[in-house]
Amino acid sequence: MRALWIILRKELLDAFRDRRMLLVAFVVIPLAIPLVLAGTNALSARKQTRQLEGPLELPVIGAERAPNLVAWLQSHNVKVLPAPRDADAAVRTQERDVVLRIDEKYGEDWRSGRPASVEVIFDSSRPLASGATVARLGGLLDGYSSTVGTLRLVARGIHPAVANPLQVGTRDVATPEARFDLSQQILPYLLLLLAFIGGLQLAVDATAGERERQSLEPLLATPVARESIISAKILATAVFSLLSIAVTLIAYRLVFAVVPARGMDASFNLGPGGLLQLFLIILPIVLLGATVLTALAAFARSYREAQGYLPLLMFLPMIPSLVLMVAPVRTQLWMLAVPFLSQNQMIVRVLRSERISALDWAVSLGASFAVVGVVWWIAARLYHREQLATSS
Amino acid sequence: MIRVEGLRKSFQTRTGRVQAVDGVSFVAADGQITGLLGPNGAGKTTTLRMLYTLMSPDSGRVLVDGLDAASEPTRVRACLGVLPDARGIYKRLTARENIAYFGALHGLDARLIAERTERVVSALEMRDFIDRRAEGFSQGQRTKTAIARALVHAPRNVLLDEPTNGLDVMTTRSLRNFLLEQRAAGRCMLLSSHIMQEVARLCDRIVVIAHGHVVADGTPDELRESTGCANLEDAFVKAIGSDEGLFA
Repeated sequence: MRALWIILRKELLDAFRDRRMLLVAFVVIPLAIPLVLAGTNALSARKQTRQLEGPLELPVIGAERAPNLVAWLQSHNVKVLPAPRDADAAVRTQERDVVLRIDEKYGEDWRSGRPASVEVIFDSSRPLASGATVARLGGLLDGYSSTVGTLRLVARGIHPAVANPLQVGTRDVATPEARFDLSQQILPYLLLLLAFIGGLQLAVDATAGERERQSLEPLLATPVARESIISAKILATAVFSLLSIAVTLIAYRLVFAVVPARGMDASFNLGPGGLLQLFLIILPIVLLGATVLTALAAFARSYREAQGYLPLLMFLPMIPSLVLMVAPVRTQLWMLAVPFLSQNQMIVRVLRSERISALDWAVSLGASFAVVGVVWWIAARLYHREQLATSS
Repeated sequence: MIRVEGLRKSFQTRTGRVQAVDGVSFVAADGQITGLLGPNGAGKTTTLRMLYTLMSPDSGRVLVDGLDAASEPTRVRACLGVLPDARGIYKRLTARENIAYFGALHGLDARLIAERTERVVSALEMRDFIDRRAEGFSQGQRTKTAIARALVHAPRNVLLDEPTNGLDVMTTRSLRNFLLEQRAAGRCMLLSSHIMQEVARLCDRIVVIAHGHVVADGTPDELRESTGCANLEDAFVKAIGSDEGLFA
């Protein structure tokens, strides 16, 4: 126990004298994560505002065939543009979000009271880029259609309600915190990634690096048990990651306190309680990451080989997020027993200000800590290999 | 005292099994410097590694002060001071911190560590770099730091793998005097070397190893006598069977 504490202290001292490691863990990451989130959030807010409230730029093919419709659109904040030579190509290359084509027989149909054709040309494979604009145009066209329809019924002496057998109303039960937003998609992944591989530098330095610098052999020649050595290195890695995460969360809070942009997602305004919950949720992932990294570094023959596993490790915390993105399902208790998936769900719940029951906490923390225990045991076994100190 | 009986160790390599140590037996007594002499690749480092329990022998046994290294590795390591072939020290720590770290791992308290460090600093002339970070240390400074940290817990038995490797004349001199002091204090010193002159100068007893075997064992005088050569150098060449590696 005493040896464990001595090694832990020395590894942290060693790490805190490594300026590059400090810079990454306590300046670059804590600044990068909130700034990236704030940046993307501001961008999407601006785009939304522009798409919904700015003038809608709309090239119209055959505008002269429907002067009333065009005038009506213009009076509803639509800027009618001349038609491009090839409308399909213009939409496909994203030169235009949407193009309106007015049928050749529009005037004829209109006058004889048949439904007159207009065509909305858009690209459904780009819902994020043009979806809002397309929907806005659709709404305008529906509005024009029903206005004219109503007038026609009135002109024939029929009450307009006759043509509306159903009145559909909607009510959104989402709380402000639970509204779908960007941070709910990105933040869980970023946090898990940081928790899982934030200690990479230290773990690799403390095991593969120590062997490469040939200081592992003298250490193993001391009476300290190898279990204590590896446990101390795992704990040092975990403590370092936790400090980095704590600084990141505080920076996150500060950044969003300073730049409360208009239309900011509610979940960016986590209170200290929420931050503490996030911290507790990812604690097992920090330990799991520290253990896996240390085990890998003990297994790898060199510093470079150890770092070669990085892409694989970055992918692991991504899997549950990807699965949930493709097939969103309701949270079930067993999911909370699966590391990463569990933390992902828990983080989203904290961001949505949902209540987390004691059972959920117990399952999430218990199962993840059990996995940590197993990997820890494997790492300790690896540390007993004879080649550990000598194969360099 | 260190007693080695019939040590064997082989390694699996890509080209097949290599028998690195093949039946090595010797005794290193207290108050003596015992030299393990042999050409490069003779099995010296592997033998020492089995002594400080980094590797376990395929057969044979190691007794350090009567303790069996196989059954009580922790207690054996506690009564050994080791300068391994790998001399790595922590470059972001000062020499003093490097030494203190190992003292603490051997269970020493801070006061004792400071006292011992003071003593070794003057014995090995480390005054001018003891509080500097190890980044950029010369080979001599690194070796001195490594020796100091190996001896900070005042072990009864000291294992030194090629201690003078890469050191200049002045450093070698101060190291040699230091080793003689340790001997006078009654320690059991075992050092390995491939440099004949050095072993001849320092050691009370010489164990010559070649190809994993002990080919000669005795005082310098006994070696001269048994090989019938008046000159030690000739005696070594004769014992080893060739002059490969001896003068590297």
